[in-house]
Amino acid sequence: TREEVVTPPLPEQAASGSLMATSVDFKTHVDQACRAAEEFVNIYYETMDKRRRALTRLYLDKATLIWNGNVVTGLEALTNFFEMLPSSEFQVNMLDCQPVHEQATQAQTTVLVVTSGTVKFDGNKQHYFNQNFLLTAQSTPTNTVWKIASDCFRFQDWAS
Amino acid sequence: MPLRKGLPVKTPSCLCDADQVVCGLLSPSSAAVTDHLQTSSSRPHGFSSQATWEDIGDGPLPSVHTMGHNDVGNPLKRRTRCWGIYRRRYNNWSEQISSGIHPSSHQQQDGDPATNGAHMSTRVRYAPYAVPPCHRRGNSQKQDQTQTNMEGEQKPPERRMEQEKQDETTGKWFKIIIPFGIKYDEKWLLDLIQGQCSVPFTPVEFHYERMQAQFFVEDASVAFALKNVNGKIWDEANERISIFIYPSDTPHSVQKELKSVKVEQTKLLPSNLRNKTPCQLDGLSDTVQNATDIKNLNLSNSEVMSLEELDEGKSLQPEEMTADRSTLCTAFPDKSTNICSILELFPKLLRLDSQESPSPTSVGIAAHKWLPTCRGSFFGSDALKRLVLQFLQHYYLIYDSRDRQGLLGAYHEEACFSLAIPFSPEDPGPSSLCEYFKESRNMKKLKDPSLRVQLLKHTKCDVMRSLCVLPKTQHDLSSFVVDMWFQTERMLCFSVNGVFKEVEGMSQDSVRAFTRTFIATPISNYSLCIVNDDLFVRDASPKENQSTSSVPVPTPSCSSWPTLCQKQQEMGQTFSTQSGMNLQWSQK
Repeated sequence: TREEVVTPPLPEQAASGSLMATSVDFKTHVDQACRAAEEFVNIYYETMDKRRRALTRLYLDKATLIWNGNVVTGLEALTNFFEMLPSSEFQVNMLDCQPVHEQATQAQTTVLVVTSGTVKFDGNKQHYFNQNFLLTAQSTPTNTVWKIASDCFRFQDWAS
Repeated sequence: MPLRKGLPVKTPSCLCDADQVVCGLLSPSSAAVTDHLQTSSSRPHGFSSQATWEDIGDGPLPSVHTMGHNDVGNPLKRRTRCWGIYRRRYNNWSEQISSGIHPSSHQQQDGDPATNGAHMSTRVRYAPYAVPPCHRRGNSQKQDQTQTNMEGEQKPPERRMEQEKQDETTGKWFKIIIPFGIKYDEKWLLDLIQGQCSVPFTPVEFHYERMQAQFFVEDASVAFALKNVNGKIWDEANERISIFIYPSDTPHSVQKELKSVKVEQTKLLPSNLRNKTPCQLDGLSDTVQNATDIKNLNLSNSEVMSLEELDEGKSLQPEEMTADRSTLCTAFPDKSTNICSILELFPKLLRLDSQESPSPTSVGIAAHKWLPTCRGSFFGSDALKRLVLQFLQHYYLIYDSRDRQGLLGAYHEEACFSLAIPFSPEDPGPSSLCEYFKESRNMKKLKDPSLRVQLLKHTKCDVMRSLCVLPKTQHDLSSFVVDMWFQTERMLCFSVNGVFKEVEGMSQDSVRAFTRTFIATPISNYSLCIVNDDLFVRDASPKENQSTSSVPVPTPSCSSWPTLCQKQQEMGQTFSTQSGMNLQWSQK
């Protein structure tokens, strides 16, 4: 089982200016983002459902989760949070992603991942949910490891 | 804090929003604000956006619950912690409780040096699930001796008497459960209970199990007296503490004790253990006949085995595995805010109605099934909240106007936009969202890599073109719930959830729900520039669909994004990182 989201190494960044200056670069980044997003979503929800204790390995140390308006910051708090959350069954029926513009990220390669679907927490009724992630890349010569910098989760019917 | 007797339970400030569901953000009128501060199960939607340019920045913003990062300044945090699985005997409980005392206050405990072991002092390391190794329940008898020696106030003769008593009576045992008792210091809690209990009780095998505090008592009359304490005690946060009583088998330690007392009474030599270093696990292993006898194993020094081994329960078969939590505990010490702030997220456990008597299984199991209370919008700070709300008001004013081209100035030159609608494999047919269908970039359905690139709109012009062909809308700003979920100096990420109505075309009057995620960089002191825009549209649920009568759309007085000088854009001023924004931002 995997607890890391790994994709092939990122293409070399253009020496000057914007990474998205040319359409070729942009396409490459989109491909890269899509690959990361798909890989990530598969691993994330499977880990959440089946190996909950390993879930925090997908997060950066200082990652933040906003869960139905509740904020959880840092690996320790996240660990406890996921420990206390009942067991889950997720079903994702929407996935979209975009490479985040480098002006916002200061050249730290980042992907926005947006998901939606249903979740059933043990002992609770099923909910539709929306979730977004910011994935940030940690590159090595041989591969790229993606980790969650931020996570935002909300039931669609959170208010009821 | 005095004990509250018969007063209604008040929610403490730290948890005051647990029941308060604030869903609206922007409201054209104060009346609507009141509406939105109520529970939202039947929220009327006003589809008019009466905000004008003059209102922006001046209009009243309803108070939205914001939960800052430091939302832990609450009484719970100050509670001292003294976790453990060990037995305590209260022979002279009355000495510890005197009339007029307020057991719920830790001030009382401060003034009691004899029992001040673990209170309010830096020498107490917060270790929620750690068990002092010498208190490990390997051999209850010897452990108890150790316990006795350590505490100094216990009397072996008393203990022996108690054993004899146990020998004589078969005794009916009861399990006492305090849901969410994990928050409370053992001594504090037991004192509190004893203070309200009409008979003295001896808690046996006090321990914390998941979120609960549990112990056993013998004798039905004691159990009955404890039952009557239910709902009559409050904690420092004014939350009522519930106590539930269940018949139970003889506790394990007592069983073992009875057995060993009968067989080996003369072999009881406290001095054996007195010389042992408390923390030697292998030392204790001599006294542990068979590890599998241990029902509740708590390994505070979890170097004994790796997490994976514990996971699969390879070496031992304990009934309850708490070792994994203790692993976390030893790995992350001294973070008393940690557990506390997490526990705050699960306040539903505090709401147990004292009139109810849930079944043991429901209390035991249900405690772990509760989800944190859902809350409304989250912003990092008031300043950011103002900025984002202002942005959204502005954005949707134009978006809902006749010409979305006015948004050109809101987007970065190289902005990205994409949109998606749900996809359910079992129902892949055309839906009422057909107008969005061909633009949908739902990767669960769309597998073609080149199409995936194509449907991601890139550059300002492409984005605008795409936005302009989407159906005309009227958004209900009062339905908006915003999560601001990432912020750096150069970037703000936030997601907006809400509803809108389509105001023309094939699906006129259809109500849609949406989640739109913006990533924006700061431009000047009061504006944001969108670099990423991701829209998810779905049909509104029946609840979301409720709306008041439709209101005519007012003509906005300004139809385009404020133009800004090139230089300002290039400068790309950064956000202040000091608790969100400088006040400067919001004042402009």
